[in-house]
Formats: sequence, C-alpha cells, structure tokens
Amino acid sequence: MSILLRNIIRFILLLLLQLFVLNKILVGQFVSLYIYMLFILLLPFNLPRPGLMLLGLFTGLTLDMFMNTMGVHAAACVFIAYLRPFIINILSPQGGFETTQKTPSLTSMGSTQFFVYATILVFLHHVVYFTLEVFNMANLLYLLLKIVASTAASLVLVLLYELLFYSKKQ
Amino acid sequence: MRNLIIFFRRYFNFFLFLLLEVICIVLVFQKNDFQHTAYINSANQISGKMYEQYNQVEYYLHLTATNDSLVRENSRLRNYLATTFDQFDTASGTHTDTLRRFSDDSLHKLLESKVRKYFYREAKVVNNSVNQDVNYITIHRGRLQGVKPNMGVISSAGVVGVVRSASDNYAVVLSLLSRVRNFGFSARLLRTKEMGNVQWDGGSGMYAVLHDIPRNAKVQKGDTVVTSGFSSFFPPDIPIGYVDSVTVEDKSSTSFNIRLKLATNFYNVEYVYVIENLLKDEQSNLEDSTRANK
Repeated sequence: MSILLRNIIRFILLLLLQLFVLNKILVGQFVSLYIYMLFILLLPFNLPRPGLMLLGLFTGLTLDMFMNTMGVHAAACVFIAYLRPFIINILSPQGGFETTQKTPSLTSMGSTQFFVYATILVFLHHVVYFTLEVFNMANLLYLLLKIVASTAASLVLVLLYELLFYSKKQ
Repeated sequence: MRNLIIFFRRYFNFFLFLLLEVICIVLVFQKNDFQHTAYINSANQISGKMYEQYNQVEYYLHLTATNDSLVRENSRLRNYLATTFDQFDTASGTHTDTLRRFSDDSLHKLLESKVRKYFYREAKVVNNSVNQDVNYITIHRGRLQGVKPNMGVISSAGVVGVVRSASDNYAVVLSLLSRVRNFGFSARLLRTKEMGNVQWDGGSGMYAVLHDIPRNAKVQKGDTVVTSGFSSFFPPDIPIGYVDSVTVEDKSSTSFNIRLKLATNFYNVEYVYVIENLLKDEQSNLEDSTRANK
C-alpha cells in the first residue's frame, strides 16, 4: 500500500474514531480524550515543513468544523506540525531515521524515542488547545490539571493505537 | 533588497507558521460575528449529514427513553385539551376556556382576546456533546424551516439552550452546559418567586448552579426552578431544574449557592422544541431605543 493511501485511510479512521467514539465518552471533568493528532505525528519523515503545516491546518479545521470550536484545534495542530521536525532532529541518531523507515513508528524510532516523541507533541498540542479553549487564566489550576490529565489519557490511546498496528517489517 | 529576499527565504517556514497561527487565532476570536460568518461548524452540509447518519444508529439505541419522554409529555398535554374539561357544569367553579386559545376558525378568532406570542417547532437532535467546556447541539431544522439565531430551545422536560447559528437545514444550539462568560439563564424559584441566574460550572452534565438567590429566601431541597420569562428567549415557567443542595459560600455573602439537578437529561436528548418569540423584535426594539435615548 502506498504511503499516500495509508495516510488518507489513517486520517479518515482517526477522524471517525475521534468524533463518534471518543467524543461520546465522558471520563470526568478534567479528562478529554484526543487521538486525531496522531495523524500529524505519523506523517512521513521526508514531508517538507510547509506541507506538514498545511496538513496540520487542514486536520485542525476539519475537527473544528465538527466540534464547533472555530480555529482552536487548527491552532494546536499547526503548532505541533511546526515543532515536529525539531523534536525529530533532537531524538534522531547520527544518521537520522530516514535511512531505514519512512514513517515514525515504534519500530522505526525505537520504543523509548517514540514514547518521548509522542509525549512531547501530545503535551504541546494539549497546552495550546486547552489554553485557547478555556482562556481563563484566573483558573490556572483547573487548566493545568486538565492539560496533565488529558495528556496522560490521550497518550495511552496513542500508544494503544500504535501497538494495535504494530508490525516488525513496516 | 536581495538580503531581504534571502532573509525571507531562510525563515520561510517560520513566517508560514506565524501566518497560519494568526489565521487560526483570528478564527478563534471572531466569535462575535459567529452567527453571520460561521461556515466551519457542524451546521454545514458535510458535517450535518455525517452526524445525521451516525444519529440514526444512536437514535435506535435510545428509542425506549425517547418513547417514555414523549408519552409523558403527551399525557401532560392531554390534560390541557378542551375535551378534558367538563363543559356543562359551569356554575360549580371557574375553569380555563382553552378552546378559544387554540381555535383557528374565523368565528373564534373574532372572540379571541389573546395574541399568540410563542411558536413551537419540533426538531430532531443529530449531534450532541456533553464532555466539552462549551457544548453544542446540532439539530435538523434550519433557516428554511424558520429557525433563526437567538431562539430558545427546550426539550420535553426543560430548558436546553439557545440557537447560535443556522444553515439551510441545520442549526447549532449552544447548550446550557457551557462555561461561557455572560451565558446564563434568567431563572425563578417557582414556589417563592425569587429571581436568580442559572449557569453551568463544568463537571457533571446533570447539575448546574443557581446564583443570586438572596439569603432570606426560603429554599428547600426539591424546589422547582423555572425560566423567569424576562429574557425574550423563553416563555415563563419552563422548568430548568430542581434544587439539589443549598449552601452558603462564606458568611458575609448575601446570596445562596444553590446546586440544581437539571430537568433535561442532556445525555439522551433526542427531540427538542425551538421556540420562536413572535413579539421579540418589538420588545428588543423598544428596549434598545430606550437605551439609546438615555
């Protein structure tokens, strides 16, 4: 299966999962579950940055359209799409990841690296998202708790998804 | 000049990033014009259709609860039917002549002294969220069916929200479950008539908070809280919730902190009514002109 087709299918799958499963789950006041940004995390290594950011904008606006949030998801997605190459650079070994595999995954990056990579980006996404959504600095503790709790919950989902589609060769 | 171009090319990514972020932030903060400009919301054709498809499955699963609530409402409305009242024994007491109020033929219209103020339209809920800080409900009724922004929305049990924007066939309702500043519902205790303001405080979608009830009010657990009828969105006496607990935040405060159990179950709301206030323009024009003359 080509990389393009793979990503399109992943996009639709994650969108449906987000809208019709995760958005219907009520865990508690502090926990919101998000997995759709995994699409940006798993885009190919060699995608140029402008493309990455535009895809981030597109993903975010699609979510905004369904969730009536107008630009909040888009801002968070563009933010992590911009920072993604920096994070990959810091985490990559001498030769870079590109030589062996085309997309970030548990196998191509190594489990520790992938975990750190996902943690940083999911956390940053949630920081931007909840800051814009709540936008009420008087309630800083609420905001912090919400970011931390939701990051932890979303991260579990991201790792579960990765393990589910885990394969040695790809 | 050449240096400038080199500078831009060098930092092209960063500038693109700034540009895109600025676009997003502008989208976030232009909410004031939300009703006119928003096409990126769940009332548009694509998302509306998708939610409608999904809702057909969910609708089936909630069929029992929906039926129950509709039957309950039917029985309540049946009590207002003209035939429920005994027409012959007029001497034994007063009773409301509901026949005139509902009649449409010309003879009765001549006798009619009351003017219709509210018009109800039923609408199917196609999407509903309860786990965000600001929750929206998408309904399958839009401009073509007469739904406009700033109309009140109720369910068979109580208040649901206010219409925020409408497309041709869909509309987005800002749910009562929304932590938005200045978004509250003018409310009144049904028994003792004290006025207050209902707002959601986040957390469970079953409860909200009633502010501004003075300390001298005699509030009891289980008291009904209804709409005051002062806002132009809702008719008076539509249930909002029932008093669950009454506390005093600090001793110097002059008002109670009352927790309400909401009348509407937002977790399984399937049908709502959109209320059109036919005299709303008259009321708001008068209020606006008074304010302008001040």
